[in-house]
Amino acid sequence: MAGTIRAQYPATLRPVRINCTGRVTPSLMMRAIGKGADGVVVGA
Amino acid sequence: MLQSARTPGLNLYTYSEVEDVQGFVGNFTVKVRKRARYVNNDCNGCGACWEVCPAYGYNEFNEGLDSRKAIYSSFAQAVPSLAQIDMDRCIKCELCKAACELDAIDFDQKDEIIEINVGSIAVATGWDEFEPPTGYLGYNKYPNVITQLKLERILAPNGPTLGHLVRPSDGKEPKKILFIQCVGSRDLNMNAYCSSGVCCMISIKNSKLIKQHSPDADITVAYMDMRAAGKDYEEYFTLSRKEGIKYIRTNVSRIKEDPKTHNLKIVMQNTLSSGGLKELEFDMVVLSTAMVPAKGVESIQKLLKLELSQDGFFKEFHARLNPIDTKIPGIVLSGASQGPKSIVESIAHGRAAASSLARLMGKDKYRILLIRAAVEDKDKCAKCGLCELNCPYNAITINDDGAEVNEILCRGCGTCLANCPSEAITLRYYREPHYEKQIDAILMEI
Repeated sequence: MAGTIRAQYPATLRPVRINCTGRVTPSLMMRAIGKGADGVVVGA
Repeated sequence: MLQSARTPGLNLYTYSEVEDVQGFVGNFTVKVRKRARYVNNDCNGCGACWEVCPAYGYNEFNEGLDSRKAIYSSFAQAVPSLAQIDMDRCIKCELCKAACELDAIDFDQKDEIIEINVGSIAVATGWDEFEPPTGYLGYNKYPNVITQLKLERILAPNGPTLGHLVRPSDGKEPKKILFIQCVGSRDLNMNAYCSSGVCCMISIKNSKLIKQHSPDADITVAYMDMRAAGKDYEEYFTLSRKEGIKYIRTNVSRIKEDPKTHNLKIVMQNTLSSGGLKELEFDMVVLSTAMVPAKGVESIQKLLKLELSQDGFFKEFHARLNPIDTKIPGIVLSGASQGPKSIVESIAHGRAAASSLARLMGKDKYRILLIRAAVEDKDKCAKCGLCELNCPYNAITINDDGAEVNEILCRGCGTCLANCPSEAITLRYYREPHYEKQIDAILMEI
């Protein structure tokens, strides 16, 4: 959606394509933090 | 209506309510309660019964302007042309039964539950007139403050006054009339939306009708905006101004009644001129109230498990790209059930609904994507029911041996998976290891 609204975001934000935000679980987000990510953005 | 009743293969269930809906697209089972009319199909609508009936009731069709008998026909053009008995008003004198030459009256008639199988459903529940709170702008308090529907019945040639314009308090013909637009609409305290310019056009139409009836009538329309968007609408509006109908841009906040004459006094200011406040007196005030969803729409919503939009009307699949379908395959919205609209738009919308269902039912197959939730290991399922509770499409049911996903209702959103504490349910093609590997790969560089 960031693409459709032509929002600019820094290159340090790496997208992971999902089919629906309902699919995002806390364990996935914690895995990302655990592997070294500073934060997780769940976008529409 | 008559044409639909005569169409072969079209079953019309009138005086009925939908009580239960089960199933999914292609396989709906619907229970319809055909309420007892206490009159059987031998009736031909001749009216001999209601001629002799001694009991009266509120005539809903004429907006309470006159009464009808306990045994009555909804209105002259009702389809089918049958009488019905309002048991709350009936005094069981049975004079109607004696008067009926066709022996059509049956006091022992009971409600009938009919079960039908259908492949798809169109929701065409329509709209109702918003009822302002009693006392708001004099509604339900001052007899000469009426709504548009009441005015329509007064002006109708087959209405209670045979089309003569009379005002409720004394039956005299009102000369100075005010229409107030946007009553209960475009109002954060009542309904925030605009009824899509329908009431603007209704006021213009009724003003012109009154002018036709009495050319010396002095008609004013108090508006916020005159929304005349549609084919020939602006020209119609210009024509009405040429006929001498006055349009004043103002918000009417309070109406006072003269208790002797029942005339209405309003202090208003034309915001498009520098004239300041003026007190004006009118013989009759007509309120253009908002279009709201039909009464009783909540029961249909629960039965079909549909969503409602912010404005209370049924929620369409997409407000811009698909205002016809709903999120449930096989159920479409037709006409004003989806939102306020004019006759022109209702017809277009209704035909779009029919076309959507024809496309669906015209094929012998129904295609679905394979991206669906699935319980692959039933031993893991603790039958906690969180998936069933959270599924936005009501696609999951908990059986004795675990959760079961209806692949046709499922839309592959993954909410069930996110909620499952046992990791028993998964989403095909979008499983957990799929994402775990992606996250690992991205963060490997760090």
